[in-house]
Amino acid sequence: MLFLQLLQGGVQTGALYALTAAGFALIFGATRIFHFAHGAAFTLAGYAFLMAWNAGWPWPLGALAAIAVAVLFGVAIEQLVYRPIGRHEGGFFTVFVAAFGVSIVVQNLVGMIAGRGFAVIDTPLSRATEVLPDLWIAPVFYVAIGVSALLFLALSLFLTRSHAGVALRALAQNPDLIRTYGLSSTRLSILAFALGSALAAPAAILTGMTVGLNEAMGHHVMLISMAATIVGGVGNLKGAALAGLLLGIAESVALAFVEPQWAEAVSFVVLFGFILFRPSGLFGVAVAR
Amino acid sequence: MNRPQPGRRALLGATLALPFLGRSALAQGGEPYVLGTLFPMSGPNAEYGTVFTAGAQLALQHIEADKVLKRPIRLQAEDTQALPQQAVVGMTKLANVDKASFVLVGFTAVSKAVAPVGDRAKIVMVNGGAVGPDLSGLSPYFWNTIPLAHLETEALLPYIVGERKLKRIALVYVDDPLGDAILGALRDGLPKAGGTLAGSFSVPRTAQQFAPVAARIRQTRPDAVYIASFGAQQSQIIKQLRDNGISQPLLSYSAMNLDSVKNTAEAEGLIFTTQKTDFAGGDAMTKRFAADFKARFNSDPGTYHVNYYNAVWLFGQLAAMNEAAGRPVDGETLRAALLEKREFDLVGGKGRFDDKGNLTAAIQVNELRGGALTRIAG
Amino acid sequence: MIAYLANLATIVAIFGILASTLNVAIGHAGIFSVAHAVFFGLGAYAGAQTAMLLVPDPLLALLVAALIAGGLSLCLALPALRVRGEYFVAASLGLQMVATTLFSELKPLTGGIGGLVGIPRPELFGVTITALPLALATLALILLATHLLARGSFGRTLRAIRDAESAAEALGKHVAVAKTLAVAFACAGAGMAGALFAFHMAFVNVESFTLDQSVLVMAMVIVGGTGTLWGPLLGAALLLALPAGLSFLPFIPPTEVGAVQQILYGLAMTLLMIFRPAGLVGDLGRGKVAH
Repeated sequence: MLFLQLLQGGVQTGALYALTAAGFALIFGATRIFHFAHGAAFTLAGYAFLMAWNAGWPWPLGALAAIAVAVLFGVAIEQLVYRPIGRHEGGFFTVFVAAFGVSIVVQNLVGMIAGRGFAVIDTPLSRATEVLPDLWIAPVFYVAIGVSALLFLALSLFLTRSHAGVALRALAQNPDLIRTYGLSSTRLSILAFALGSALAAPAAILTGMTVGLNEAMGHHVMLISMAATIVGGVGNLKGAALAGLLLGIAESVALAFVEPQWAEAVSFVVLFGFILFRPSGLFGVAVAR
Repeated sequence: MNRPQPGRRALLGATLALPFLGRSALAQGGEPYVLGTLFPMSGPNAEYGTVFTAGAQLALQHIEADKVLKRPIRLQAEDTQALPQQAVVGMTKLANVDKASFVLVGFTAVSKAVAPVGDRAKIVMVNGGAVGPDLSGLSPYFWNTIPLAHLETEALLPYIVGERKLKRIALVYVDDPLGDAILGALRDGLPKAGGTLAGSFSVPRTAQQFAPVAARIRQTRPDAVYIASFGAQQSQIIKQLRDNGISQPLLSYSAMNLDSVKNTAEAEGLIFTTQKTDFAGGDAMTKRFAADFKARFNSDPGTYHVNYYNAVWLFGQLAAMNEAAGRPVDGETLRAALLEKREFDLVGGKGRFDDKGNLTAAIQVNELRGGALTRIAG
Repeated sequence: MIAYLANLATIVAIFGILASTLNVAIGHAGIFSVAHAVFFGLGAYAGAQTAMLLVPDPLLALLVAALIAGGLSLCLALPALRVRGEYFVAASLGLQMVATTLFSELKPLTGGIGGLVGIPRPELFGVTITALPLALATLALILLATHLLARGSFGRTLRAIRDAESAAEALGKHVAVAKTLAVAFACAGAGMAGALFAFHMAFVNVESFTLDQSVLVMAMVIVGGTGTLWGPLLGAALLLALPAGLSFLPFIPPTEVGAVQQILYGLAMTLLMIFRPAGLVGDLGRGKVAH
């Protein structure tokens, strides 16, 4: 039963990892920008919802606020930081360092404004009940799975059916092609940042309910998203999402075999192993680079 | 942190006013004494830095109001982020640039890192926050105004096992010297008190997910769960254990005495030890502390406020002894004064320091009820 | 004040070594590692244990540190040979995270979070010295080696690999050997920095060897200018002096001092990258051509 319980917990965490990872993968795939500040969008969205919630707003309004804040942040960083750098040289690591600076600023601003330490979105949704002997499940489990499934459905419809979505996917495969067809890669890259950042919001809200928020949480989220993007195969949204789910499960189920302090290492051993033995990712085509 | 915190805002206002306060103090005459602080002021443990500083600030206010010293005191804050490397850099600056004679520290790892620097420069370092037992006797100049962890578990276990009949205790502990210390204390103490350690689970300092740990704990069928962590992580552990089917009593030690824990709904009923302080029925000094704290910060004081208030107040007393005797105020004379007098009027009653500079204090067991501490034993 | 500046100078020298050696990997061989702190840590533990268990001879400690860090650099060279670009970044990140856990858990060797306390001061020929002259000497050696390496044929091979790996291979360059050697040099240098760090602090624990530290060292290289000789050193000095300098600002209230410092620090990093993307010493024009 312990195994089942850990698996359930892993699926819940993994569903949320999948959402943020998909956002990161979307941005990375379309723009080739290693958006190290993706975690900051997550943190901001979580705190936006928390403030709205504590101010007594109804939850859909709070969720909209959270999404708006995340989108605004994503677009702002694209316009104000990544674009000017891209104009010069756009070295991969120049972007990385700039994004790192931004996430430090966001983390400390959030700490100053919203208070340092732990904060939680207080709902009965996170309270688990015993559904089977020794198997405790909280309503938030079903919410997390439902929301993730719904969003992935919407996302894949958008990417396959809409003009902009198809263009986004094309951009991931071949940036030059887009230009030939007269599409603006600038507007597409803004779209990628807006969509990718928006995907972080629901995960942030649900994480705020179960694990709670603190101003430094974006870091871990970003690492997991990045690992999932690599394990899933760059430019492959489905792969990133599935990898996010798997990393969540691995982190949790690992506790059936090892002591808790090793749990985090498990995810990264998986990552390291993948890169060594299957660098193309879960379903990647061979990415010989 | 689910409700508005007037205390925080008031605190911010008060600290913003500090530079002006310092300037008026300068007018009193003489080069100020420099009192350094090495607290985490950013990062995941920053809440402690804010709390620790508030206690010290109130003591400075009182020392100035009472005209304890001829020269003013300047507070010089260095941010450690609770990391040893930053702390050593900060400590070196305090020693060599600011010429601090007295430095307040917190956190076990930070204390151990800066102790050699302070020892070499003969600067008194006072810890009022960390409880790792190996902090005792770290240097002749390293003192503690907080009872260390083994004293806390010694006070808790007889009550828990004897009176409450909670015999099987599971432990979640942070993987650092503090956590190891509590693990050791429970391993030794529980059998003596007639209980058993049903299981122990160490978690990294950065861990955030505790639902899987909760599942493991449930397997050990404990009567109660002891949490040994600090900072933002504590509330996370409490919430996630409660959310994930652990309804047994939760136990802990003095690090829980933070607003963020008290404001966590799931922390209701939490049992933890602190040193004994009776703010309402205590002596005049304790009453004044409680009243003025409330007036300045608009919230009730906790034990960390007391410890750092006491540390700074102690500096005032020791420096005044040296001023009266016409001696310079430095690490050596401060230490001599401490060993000469030993017993001081402090918040919480008379405090006595042993040869190593540790404050011996009585411990009480508290329960968190309605967001406030209620003494239940000791 | 002198002691304070000496302390700062020692730290700058140590991080200068770290940044310069990482620069060999990044700037010359195009290997973007975010695991440099791992080898810094390995060297620190190796140096500390040598000093504590054997003799506090800094030369021996430096040698042991360089050997262990250089030897274990194979953990990094292996993925470097198999993947490039973002994939290698992610691999080094995985290595960094796993190593952090190992450093915290292998307590008999590392002391965990509690760390190793009471590392003796270095003694050279029976005389106790500070870490500063050692750090400066090592830094000078590393800079000299980097300079010679950049000019020599090995440097040309590395740059050829960086700019066009398959072309370099076609030209008969031993890509695998060159990459492994570059990584080994970088990691051994980081190990030496670690041993110096252990002597200087007289205390080491895992918190100095985390991902944040790796990213910081990387930021030093980028901010200073990759592929340049003095850039990484300048970057190290700037990023270390910045927080130290900010702590002299008198108007920050004590409870906000950390946050304000961090915000200014992060802001400086971002603005620098926006306005000097090739780094302080870096040549903007050359960057464009290379791209």
